[in-house]
Amino acid sequence: MSDAVAVEALSLTLGAFRLKKIDFALARGEILIILGPNGSGKSVTLETIAGFHRPDAGRIVVAGRDVTALPPERRKIGFVVQNFGLFPHLSVAQNVAIGERGHHAGRVHNKDLLSYFGIDHLANRAPADLSAGEKQRVALARALASAPDLFMFDEPFSALDAETRTQLRAELKTFLRALAIPAIFVTHDHDEAMALGDTVIVLRDGGVMQRGSVAEIFNKPSNSFVARFVGVENILPARVVARLSNLLTCAVDRQIVYATPPAGVLPEGAAKLAIRAEHITVSPVPAALGAARTRNTLECRVKALRVLGPLATVEVECGFLLKAYLLSPQVQAMGLAEGNLVEVQIPPDAIHVMAE
Amino acid sequence: MTISVETTRGGYAERSRWTSAAPSRPGALYLLCWFCGSVLLAFLVIPLVALATHQSGQDLVEAAGMADVRSAIALSIEGAFLSAALAALAGVPLAYVLARTAFPGKGLIAALIDLPLAVPHTVAGIALFLVFGRQGVLGEPLQALVGLKFWGTVAGIVVAMLFVSAPYTVNAARIGFEAVDPRLEKIARTLGLGPWRTFLRITLPLAWRSIMTGVTLTFARSISEFGAVVILVYYPMTAPVMIYELFLRFGLEQAAAAAVLLLIVSLALFVLLRTLAQRGAPATGGR
Amino acid sequence: MKFPARLCLALFCCITFVSTTSIAQAAEPQTLTIYAAGTLAVPFRQLNALFEKNNAGVTVQAQFGGSVMMAKRITDLHQDADLLAVADYSVIPKYMFANPAHAAWYAGFARNAITFVYTDKSKYANEINAQNWYRILARPGVEIGRSNPDTDPSGYQTVQMLNLAEKFYNTPGLEQSVLANAPLANTRDTETSLISALQLGQIDYLAIYRSDALQHHLKFLDLPTKINLSEPAEAAFYKDGVAHTKNGELSGKPIVYAVTMLNGSKNAALAEKYVAMLLGPDGQAVMKSNGFGDFSPPYAVHIDAMPAELKQLVKPWPGS
Repeated sequence: MSDAVAVEALSLTLGAFRLKKIDFALARGEILIILGPNGSGKSVTLETIAGFHRPDAGRIVVAGRDVTALPPERRKIGFVVQNFGLFPHLSVAQNVAIGERGHHAGRVHNKDLLSYFGIDHLANRAPADLSAGEKQRVALARALASAPDLFMFDEPFSALDAETRTQLRAELKTFLRALAIPAIFVTHDHDEAMALGDTVIVLRDGGVMQRGSVAEIFNKPSNSFVARFVGVENILPARVVARLSNLLTCAVDRQIVYATPPAGVLPEGAAKLAIRAEHITVSPVPAALGAARTRNTLECRVKALRVLGPLATVEVECGFLLKAYLLSPQVQAMGLAEGNLVEVQIPPDAIHVMAE
Repeated sequence: MTISVETTRGGYAERSRWTSAAPSRPGALYLLCWFCGSVLLAFLVIPLVALATHQSGQDLVEAAGMADVRSAIALSIEGAFLSAALAALAGVPLAYVLARTAFPGKGLIAALIDLPLAVPHTVAGIALFLVFGRQGVLGEPLQALVGLKFWGTVAGIVVAMLFVSAPYTVNAARIGFEAVDPRLEKIARTLGLGPWRTFLRITLPLAWRSIMTGVTLTFARSISEFGAVVILVYYPMTAPVMIYELFLRFGLEQAAAAAVLLLIVSLALFVLLRTLAQRGAPATGGR
Repeated sequence: MKFPARLCLALFCCITFVSTTSIAQAAEPQTLTIYAAGTLAVPFRQLNALFEKNNAGVTVQAQFGGSVMMAKRITDLHQDADLLAVADYSVIPKYMFANPAHAAWYAGFARNAITFVYTDKSKYANEINAQNWYRILARPGVEIGRSNPDTDPSGYQTVQMLNLAEKFYNTPGLEQSVLANAPLANTRDTETSLISALQLGQIDYLAIYRSDALQHHLKFLDLPTKINLSEPAEAAFYKDGVAHTKNGELSGKPIVYAVTMLNGSKNAALAEKYVAMLLGPDGQAVMKSNGFGDFSPPYAVHIDAMPAELKQLVKPWPGS
């Protein structure tokens, strides 16, 4: 099946900034997240795809058409920006109608669009009078009115409070799935990326760091930068000592842990381990010594304990620091306190080995 | 009291309605502003009132009855109108370029646009005379090719008015365009509007009020211009020239009456222009 | 002793009076006030400096303006002046001889002529001369400047001159054909503001006084005396040159600058000395060097009313 959207080797120099060989593809109905810190080139990538910058090299294919040389108005790409970019001098109906092809006046020809998004009662309102959710729907309706082959979202939620953000995110995902139009969503918030996306691209300084599904990126980051960016709580320097029948032996400080080897090139020598906190189990030291121990069981001392509502963060020390999560009732049941000895278990496939 | 705050900088219009705990006890800052403002207002208004009340209604009617006073005022309005129209036609595109593009020498060009405001009016008139006179670098070919003369014609009046007043349109339009978020223009393009339709349907309406303010200033400045106009065109007389001559020949009374007539007509036109500015402005653009 | 007391009192008063007046006189430096026409500003400033040099302790204060305006300041506003000098001699009899009389005589001390000035850039400049000028000025494409006949003497004098030229050259339509090249656009309230227009080539010919032509070092035409309003002896002929203006029909008169002493003057002796200088060789030389036509000797009207010294310097006005 051919891809609905394909970007090949897109390169661009914009003043001091450079986009380096951006590559990705999208299928119909797929949501791609471009994730990265500020200044990594996320917006520039979107703007280049939309046609506002001429790339030095590369191709952009949308719905089978090579649009690389086309002006923005001929690319059939819908664009939604922060705060939704509604035209303040036009009513809702006029905003939506402006994208209609072949229509001159401001009457909405497809009233179905307004009712599809449930905003026909807002037809004559001014954008300034709308709530964020209403604005989003108007922006979607407007973009949809021009029958786009691709949707692009440039951090539309960054100026909104957490609750609204969550709500709108869910709504957006529902709409996009129903419309089955491919979408590229840009954000610097990894929670948002996790909630919304199918595929994620991590950008840094104009280059792609890693590309993969949400699960891959979050559980198997390709390097420390990505790991930090996606919120991996434990990144530990280590040394790969040996490979033992499908397990890598790694030395972390004075401890030995075993990790599932990553796909692709096996790191040798100096490496970094990425361990997500939620995979680490913390339990009281078993009374009976000599009980069966699974791989990667470590004895640690509780260094810090922070209880925040239902969740507690535990920092334990066993030659190196580890961060883990516990539910508050668990903490109580265990009678956990700073200075206690605990047993920490990490499943080998929760330890991801990275070259750097 | 409800204050509507509308910001168009950096984002697009987001009106937040602030219902201020209304100055039941106006703060010191507010009072100070009003005080300083009143002083300036008085400084501007009192001489105008003194001028207006200097003559009786009878004098005004007499002045209005003089055919050459009427034709001088009409000529001033005609010239100012043409000057404002030309300033808009050429100045608005220039303002758009200055607002949207960066190029080497942009700062210099922006400064050059302000320069006519600093040139003494007589000097401006002489400069224009050198260029548009019968032997001028532009005047000679224009007269030979299209028969366009500037000495003693409406064209000369317009040229002098435009020179001293065009900067107002360009600067105001530029500020208006700079306040329109370029992202809105980009979105319009992605919705299928080409560059022209984007400009006409999005950029221009959002910058309209600023542009009209600039055009009104240009119009006002044009009507009152004397020094530059009088070098190229003494006859036919514009209102300021006529008022000057009345003053020299007959004295203060006649001149003041004609001046007040001019002011009344100008005031009416400004109100009209302001209304036009409001009408054309987006309905939701706020006040 | 009544008589000696009265005598003493009278003597005392006399002495007081005389001494105070003489003290007053000795304390004030002598000031001579002159009201003069604007076009006389340049030569009169030179004459004033000369007069002050030759008469120590004397200050000459001159004010310049339109001839009629200066006359009215004496008659209507009752301002004090010692001398009045005008650009149009007829202003003095018209305003100053009437009831009450402010002056009793006047003397013409300089004359002027209407002429056309031009530059090398002017159209047909190499062709034009004192014989063919009216044909050249009538050619299409020639731009002529002049001052407003309704407000400025040189304006209506130009028209009068053209009117006379029509008769002199026996060419009907001459006035119209030349004026056709001097439209309203080329008119200003005073001709001097058009000099820059001439120098920059906006106009080809400018109707102006001969004195201005010489002062600005511009080429000019020597028009026949019979039409250029410069000779009082031709006054009868000049009368037939008529200009139609908003102020009525004005007949041509010779352009003669006249001076008089004012009746109420407190500095009669000083004023007389000034007029003597003006009418004498020094004054004539200054006027001539500034481009004005001279009189040798000057003409005067009501010579009997003039002070004795001045009588010798003048001749009766022709035709009066």
